[in-house]
Amino acid sequence: MKNFAKSLLLASIGIASSSQANDLNINGFLSVGASMLDNDKVEISGYDTDGGFKQDTILGLQLSKQVNDSTTVTGQLVSRGSEDYNTESAWAYINFAANDDLDLRMGRLRVPFYYYSDFLEVGFAYDWIRPPAEVYSVPFSSVDGVDATYRFSIGNWDNSAQFYYGRYTPEGAGVDLRNFTGLALSGQTGDFSLRASYHRLEIISDGTGSFGAVNQGAAALIGTTGSPLNTGLLAAGYSNQDIAGAVDDFTLTGQEIGFYGIAAGYDNGDYSAIAEYTQSFGDAPFIPIVNTYLVKAAKRFSDITAHLTFTSSETELDSGINETIQKSLMLEDKQSSIILGARYDYDSSSALKFEIQQLTEDMRSGAGEIDETGMLYSVAIDLVF
Amino acid sequence: MTTFKQLCCTCIISFFTITAFAETSVIVSVNNGNASIDKNTISKIFLGKSKSFPDGSQALPIDQNDGAAARESFNSNVLGKSASQLKSYWSRLIFTGKGTPPKQSGSDSDVKALVSNNPNMIGYIDSSAVDSSVKVVHKF
Repeated sequence: MKNFAKSLLLASIGIASSSQANDLNINGFLSVGASMLDNDKVEISGYDTDGGFKQDTILGLQLSKQVNDSTTVTGQLVSRGSEDYNTESAWAYINFAANDDLDLRMGRLRVPFYYYSDFLEVGFAYDWIRPPAEVYSVPFSSVDGVDATYRFSIGNWDNSAQFYYGRYTPEGAGVDLRNFTGLALSGQTGDFSLRASYHRLEIISDGTGSFGAVNQGAAALIGTTGSPLNTGLLAAGYSNQDIAGAVDDFTLTGQEIGFYGIAAGYDNGDYSAIAEYTQSFGDAPFIPIVNTYLVKAAKRFSDITAHLTFTSSETELDSGINETIQKSLMLEDKQSSIILGARYDYDSSSALKFEIQQLTEDMRSGAGEIDETGMLYSVAIDLVF
Repeated sequence: MTTFKQLCCTCIISFFTITAFAETSVIVSVNNGNASIDKNTISKIFLGKSKSFPDGSQALPIDQNDGAAARESFNSNVLGKSASQLKSYWSRLIFTGKGTPPKQSGSDSDVKALVSNNPNMIGYIDSSAVDSSVKVVHKF
């Protein structure tokens, strides 16, 4: 994979000079960032009190070529500092334009989970240094499959409907995400935009890998006679049959999980605002239901944009024996952040950003009650080319 | 001193002359079937939201180069966006494969030459550069 990326990169450099002539489009984005956390009582994955330069550093290179009147091929290679600069194909697809309003794609696609998903890593395209982790919490962003996007107008509204179907198998996690499907509807008129989406998948784990081992270990604990968890459940009055049912529920094999999201945005050039809300569902209590939201307002002063965001995420436990087990396994999670930031556009393709995030952790998955507050200071430069 | 005053006057007058009379025309080929096109439709074509003219024929928008006076006027008057807002807008489309910005094709004379030879193209030039090789469909 890395070699493929390298050869593509070399090829692209070789062709760059003649890119206009043969209609090969080359575009790229680069973000470099530095950040530091003010205390180690709160936890933000990848950030620490010693400061670092890796976490927000991302390089993306996109090649696309129109093969004939209706067919385009696109590849986007992304190298993330947070993943030790391993190169991944975030996009790699063939697009067939059935007509002006309908596009059909096959290959590796970005899942349209959220409002900013399509350009999730193109920092230049939004005000934040990174989208808030409370809402933008799904730990992967691509799917291998097919999608269809239909564009249509109703009155003054320009709309699109995107349906996708595919499968995703993250490397080394021991999980396989099957029958992965969803729909994203978006509409825009003047300064307003609206978006609604639905996503679901079946989660299969073979008990190996980082995720599978933890899951199957936890499920085994529930049913093992004499384990503190099993003893506790019996003492609470649950029968062996209840416990056997719970072992089944907590062992991830074929359960369905997913979420709904809605978002609304406004941007008149001077003032902009966005609100996004997501609510998950599923019958896999090992992955509790979580509700998240963010509300952001920004004011543009010529080249400088100041913005303020409130964001929160909170798990919602099941009832009965599953709730008791979820509590024992410390699967509850509740946190919120206030993000204050500024973006300075110093020319039409680069921006300098500053951000202060105050994170409040009430409950942390795996650690229980936390009740701590910490500050994350970040600076970043985003470019597109 | 008089010379200085005169110079100032000349400068001020020429400044107003430029700003007051720098009118921009949106142009198509004389062989294009559309008589006039409203601002909203032009904006949709240049933002990649519409791929055809009101008469149904294919539309290919042509931009002037970054920094050209006509381009800045077009961006703010027709598209209602600053250069960096537009860059951000196109970034969102480019990196999702959903669209590419209009090709940058030089200045008034380059755009006029391209448009006059292709009935599918649409561009904008300073009104003073308009001649019989192209048809004006909108002015601002």
